[in-house]
Amino acid sequence: MWQASSAESDGLVAAGGVPQATAPGEGAATTGSPRPSVSPAIHTLGLHKRYRRTVAVKSLSVSVGRGEIFGFLGPNGAGKTTVIKMLLGLVKPTAGEAMVLGAPVGDRRTRRRIGYLPEMFRFQPWLTAAEVLRLHCRLLELPRPSWEQSISESLETVGLAERAGDRVAGFSKGMQQRLGLGVALLGGPALVFLDEPTSALDPVGRHHVRQITRDLRERGVTVFLNTHLLAEAEQLCDRVAVLDKGAVVASGSLSELLGRHSRVRLKLSAAPAGWTTGLSAFGAWRTEGEWTTVEGVDPDAIADLVNLIVAGGGRVEAVIPEHQNLEERFLELLQEK
Amino acid sequence: MIYRIRTIAALTIREAARRRLLAALVGITVAMVGLSAWGFDRLAHGGALTSGESTLALPQSLILFMFMFSFVVALSASAIASPSVASEIESGVLMTVVTRPIRRGEVIIGKWLGLAALLAGYAAAVSVLEMGVVDWVSGYLPPNPVLTTVYLFAEGLLLLTLALLLSTRMSTLAAGVVGIALFGAAWLAGVVGFLGTTFGIGALRTIGRISRVVLPTDGLWHGAIYYLEPPSLLRAHSLGQNENPFFTRSPPSWVYLAWVGVWFVAVLGAAILSFDRREI
Ligand SMILES: Nc1ncnc2c1ncn2[C@@H]1O[C@H](COP(=O)(O)OP(=O)(O)OP(=O)(O)O)[C@@H](O)[C@H]1O
Ligand SMILES: [Mg+2]
Repeated sequence: MWQASSAESDGLVAAGGVPQATAPGEGAATTGSPRPSVSPAIHTLGLHKRYRRTVAVKSLSVSVGRGEIFGFLGPNGAGKTTVIKMLLGLVKPTAGEAMVLGAPVGDRRTRRRIGYLPEMFRFQPWLTAAEVLRLHCRLLELPRPSWEQSISESLETVGLAERAGDRVAGFSKGMQQRLGLGVALLGGPALVFLDEPTSALDPVGRHHVRQITRDLRERGVTVFLNTHLLAEAEQLCDRVAVLDKGAVVASGSLSELLGRHSRVRLKLSAAPAGWTTGLSAFGAWRTEGEWTTVEGVDPDAIADLVNLIVAGGGRVEAVIPEHQNLEERFLELLQEK
Repeated sequence: MIYRIRTIAALTIREAARRRLLAALVGITVAMVGLSAWGFDRLAHGGALTSGESTLALPQSLILFMFMFSFVVALSASAIASPSVASEIESGVLMTVVTRPIRRGEVIIGKWLGLAALLAGYAAAVSVLEMGVVDWVSGYLPPNPVLTTVYLFAEGLLLLTLALLLSTRMSTLAAGVVGIALFGAAWLAGVVGFLGTTFGIGALRTIGRISRVVLPTDGLWHGAIYYLEPPSLLRAHSLGQNENPFFTRSPPSWVYLAWVGVWFVAVLGAAILSFDRREI
């Protein structure tokens, strides 16, 4: 179960490896630099949302450190989008509170440093891509001389430079999502919310988005990523939380989430009678031909396991420790519930 | 604040221009004005009327035509305002706008100003075209075209503001239908009030009075009528008759106009509050 206190320390430690020590009182809202500061990028306490009879989010307490890429996973209807919307002030929580970049949710000045790519990305169809970005430069109140540069950089990043002058109405879904990403990145935000940012993208686009996300990490930008693509989360995220029916069922760094449940595959050429007797102490096991698989072995205990077999007169030809992948772990977590 | 409001207002106007909304309206309006020009030409030069008759017939016909235009202005106002918030919430366009450093109230005021500017342009165009064409074909110009236009615009703006409020809570279609239905109901209540006055039925008169307070469109329409009435028409009407759906004896009182001002502030304020609490 998720604990508010452990979540907080997780967040602070995992902040992209950058030391968290900063002068006391250096508030997030007062510094314009993406440098991590004292307060976590996101901190929620008992955040709760009920729609009439459905509880979308159950008192969620979560903390995301500055510069961290935080993955939010969960099946359809788990409440991921609702959490993002609450953190952006689009939806009012039924209970609980949240701080974003050191300011209460919805704080107007803080919003200048937040980028958002919605799940249902739509832009004024009668504007061109460049005009949409210009509108957002205006809304962000960026200095006017920097607009053209920001706009062309943004278009370049998301691969829409050639379509800058075309109306959004004529854009494919993937192009609109790219534009949405461009809008989210405009003005150098310190925190970016991406709600399934690759849902409409082709494989090349997905690859680009992963690259963009890594670049954001380089620049110390915090990324809050909702995704169904577990491989994406595996490749990108410093930390993930798995949400189911509005509650967090597991969280932590990927190695924390997966490491505890590694498995070992062993190939034995000579197996003495009764060699399996001690095996159950290490985990559930099964044999298929020459191969034996032991599930849930503590990585530190693998040597002991091999010793046991050798001491019993067995010949071990291969030991392959396998990490469970996120998908398996994900399915397991949801079944446990 | 002004900067952000102006951004939204300019965006609203640009949308109307890009979507050829104005072009479509102007096209329809020109067709209607052409029709009325032909009618006035027949009326003035057809030889069917004596000169005495035509001094009454021309103003009365213009009032009827302007009534039709007031209807078109009001419907257009409702049509442009009812999708302004609702459809952008439905499509999701507003999600990336309201998460920028802009207040929700600034979005509403910006939209209101942008739509109001469009409506003012349209009301002015309708008035200039219609009254200009009538003057040209028949030589008749009502006593105060400017104030007539102002009342025509105010009537439309009232419905625009109401539709904007409805749009923060209802779907585009519902907001449009409800806005137009209320406008129709207010006009009908005006007719009911007229019947009440004419036949001395207190209850009907009260309905007319209440509706003019709750939704002052009919009251403002009578303001427009007043400035379309030349002295000859005022004199010709029987003394017993004060008001009918196409005639009025006096302009709206200052008290009534002050109330209309309060109404605008209240409804626009309600729209801002409602949008502020709306989950998007
Ligand atoms: N506006 C709303 N009114 C009523 N219920 C809602 C509303 N928005 C969300 N919900 C409910 O809240 C729950 C969580 O929805 P949410 O959109 O946050 O899920 P999600 O995790 O983002 O799902 P997906 O992966 O499909 O995007 C669902 O049960 C949904 O039905
Ligand atoms: Mg979602």
